[in-house]
Amino acid sequence: MTDTSTAFNPAIAADATVEATEVSKWFGQKVAVSDVTCSFGPGLTGLLGPNGAGKTTLLRMLCGLMLPSEGTLTIRGRSPRRSVEVYGHLGFVPEEDAVYGALTGREFVEYAAKLTGLGDPAAAAGRAIAIVELQDSADRAIGGYSKGMRQRAKVAAALVHEPDILILDEPLNGTDPIQRAHLIALFRKLAGAGHTVIVSSHVLQEVERMTDRVIAMVDGKLAAAGDIGAIRRAMSDIPYRVLIETDDPRRLGAALVGSDAVFGVAVDAAALRVRTTDLATLGRLISTLAKDLDLRFTRFRPEDESLESVFRYLVRRR
Amino acid sequence: MTAALTILRMTIRQVLGLRRFIGLGLLALGPAAIVFLGSARSSSFRATETLAGTTTGVFLNLVIPVITLIMASSVLGSERRDQTLSFIVLRPISRFSIAGAKLAAAFVTAFMLTGLGALALSVVAVIRIEEAGYFAPLLVGTAVATLAYAAIFMPLGYLTERATLIGLAYVFVWENGIVGALEGLAGLSPWRLGLAATVAMAPSDFELAVDEIHSFALGSLQPGAGGSVAKVLVLGAISIAVTGWILRRRDLA
Repeated sequence: MTDTSTAFNPAIAADATVEATEVSKWFGQKVAVSDVTCSFGPGLTGLLGPNGAGKTTLLRMLCGLMLPSEGTLTIRGRSPRRSVEVYGHLGFVPEEDAVYGALTGREFVEYAAKLTGLGDPAAAAGRAIAIVELQDSADRAIGGYSKGMRQRAKVAAALVHEPDILILDEPLNGTDPIQRAHLIALFRKLAGAGHTVIVSSHVLQEVERMTDRVIAMVDGKLAAAGDIGAIRRAMSDIPYRVLIETDDPRRLGAALVGSDAVFGVAVDAAALRVRTTDLATLGRLISTLAKDLDLRFTRFRPEDESLESVFRYLVRRR
Repeated sequence: MTAALTILRMTIRQVLGLRRFIGLGLLALGPAAIVFLGSARSSSFRATETLAGTTTGVFLNLVIPVITLIMASSVLGSERRDQTLSFIVLRPISRFSIAGAKLAAAFVTAFMLTGLGALALSVVAVIRIEEAGYFAPLLVGTAVATLAYAAIFMPLGYLTERATLIGLAYVFVWENGIVGALEGLAGLSPWRLGLAATVAMAPSDFELAVDEIHSFALGSLQPGAGGSVAKVLVLGAISIAVTGWILRRRDLA
């Protein structure tokens, strides 16, 4: 079971507004989320993990769109399924294109404002559209929008009632670099103003640009949590397998054996595979050996540094 | 209340596309065309028989269920399938209010068409029978049957993608098969509730004609508008309660 004590668990936020306690979700035989305990407070938290890690399922449960098979989820201490009032504080941007194609962007955001019971929905919609910089296209049907524009329309609809909790599922998908930079700046600004902002992504670099606090998931489990530096450090202990192609793999293999940075070497006809926990030292070593042994290198490539493999390793280590 | 009205208006706009309105509008006008053409050069009594036969055998038990099935099954079902339902349910609105607004939208959109059919039948009655007393009975009976079918087909449309198929099976197997054979179950048949209301309010020739052509139609039901309206309102309340419960207790995406 996950340690839920605040002092030792970086997955627990100090002033939590959104909490998941021992949450699991399964669909028949498939376990989508397994015994996850974490919480989110003011500021921006990245929910990181490869596709299929269970991020979307967790976010949908946090919002009340899905019921957990086990465990409890609360927003401001209340279950969203039982107290719909919490939705007055919550904005949600789903991953899929959940938009009404026949409406214009402005009508779509106004619809959200009306459903939330705002006094002047038109004015609120205008403000939200301006925040995401969608004014020029606001009076066109959403059906004709690009993916990035639809993302921004969804963000505007989520922001229109100025919620203090914002949950965004892969909000940067389909956005161009300028839009991405703008949205990241917006999320950081909201977080800086004391909002609870939860952003899911499968791209580590994307999350790094947004926040220091990360909760990482893989295979439905919590893989790592805390500041991104700690996760980077945890990742530095991971044994990497590196493919090295050279004109004399046997000689290189013999030279590498015994190095502190290397704990395994496999040689075949044209290449060798080296296992290391220190990519940087291995790189320097290879460079030195290239000169000393007069070798030619055609490739130096870590074979398993994908986010998924990194997170899998972290889960196994927990 | 304002949010529920917003959902009602938006759903009507979503469900009632122009092509669908024209297609189903023609279907709704079909029974009036049958009576108009079928009672040409007929006596007033024969025309009344044609009106009663077509109203009972085509309009109430075929046209109204089909139109209402298409409308009601899409008010929640299409939003669930295109995943826009989260847009509505993640707002500070009770799930029962959402269900109520959706049922109202299902009724309004279906009744815009079925009511049109009832009006057309009433106009034909004026032309062929020279009787203006069919407007209210046909409209009330149509409203009763439409609301009853909407109450059944709205949650069905949410629960299954095969609502049209299951709905048609329900109409043909349950209503025209089982209830037709077991007259004690007539009170559970939406179109018979509509017919009971229509017969109670229509000129007496209409009831005679219904008895003559479709003597089994009402089964154990007694003609009565008040009873039919009360039953269908109860059915509507049950539908809202069931749908609201589903929206609270099931995964929504």
